[in-house]
Amino acid sequence: MMKISSRPECTRLVAFAVASLASLHAYAGPERIAYPTEYQTTFVNYNQIERPDRKPPQIRFMYATRDAVAAARANAPTPEGAILIMEDRAVKLSADGQPERDANGRFIASDKVLNVFVQQKGRGWGEAYPPEKRNGDWEYAWFNADGSRRENAKFDGCFACHQSRAGRDFTFTFIKWVNDGKP
Amino acid sequence: MDLRANIARQLTGAIALAAAAAAFPAAAAEHTITMKGVNYQPSVIDAKVGDTLKFVNDDGTDHNVFVPTKGFGADLGMQKSGAATELKLVRLGTFEVECVVHPHMLLKVNVSK
Repeated sequence: MMKISSRPECTRLVAFAVASLASLHAYAGPERIAYPTEYQTTFVNYNQIERPDRKPPQIRFMYATRDAVAAARANAPTPEGAILIMEDRAVKLSADGQPERDANGRFIASDKVLNVFVQQKGRGWGEAYPPEKRNGDWEYAWFNADGSRRENAKFDGCFACHQSRAGRDFTFTFIKWVNDGKP
Repeated sequence: MDLRANIARQLTGAIALAAAAAAFPAAAAEHTITMKGVNYQPSVIDAKVGDTLKFVNDDGTDHNVFVPTKGFGADLGMQKSGAATELKLVRLGTFEVECVVHPHMLLKVNVSK
């Protein structure tokens, strides 16, 4: 058992603890996440979500790393380093400005990427956040189509919204997709 | 004779009406879903392709219409109290609707031909 023998030593210990906590907070945030290049070809595109409320309408492509998919299908926790992506794309519009639809009545996406939102899990990342904000060990980042970071992006909304899905590992569509048993 | 002719006319009319009904499918229906008390009401809808779901936020707080089911995925965005949104049913199958803000708000929609 460690004994604190003197007041200066105790003070140093407290200062060290405070500094450590402060550094954790300093490194929390979107800078922890690098732009995931080649996600369109190496990740699993597991779902598409139409946004008819956007002007003009958009469609969101949802991606997950293969290790995240394998773990979820084995009913195991999402592994550290797992990445989920929500990519906003413009949809093809007809001459009258309405979204073009495929044989199933779904929006047809264009190649134009508008936003790339990333949710990534890292060891101990959640420790930087208070319990009322923490999303497990998930962190969020927002990129433009060219991979540059979105200027002045705010992430409180990400944390607040995803916290409502704590029972699905803080994901809206990923664990739901696995639980539904869809291909 | 008049009686026979009258019955024949009525039968012909009935057959014509039945034929017309068969030729033209039933008009698309609108199904209204309310949100009062932080619940979708009703919680199960049986509808047909071409029908429309109308979501009316008659609650005192914001809600949302979010479909996470693969093949049906849609997000109609945040819906303020008093606002209404619509979702057209374009394909067969079963999907679920959730409120992004209130995870216990659930609706199941079965869409048939």
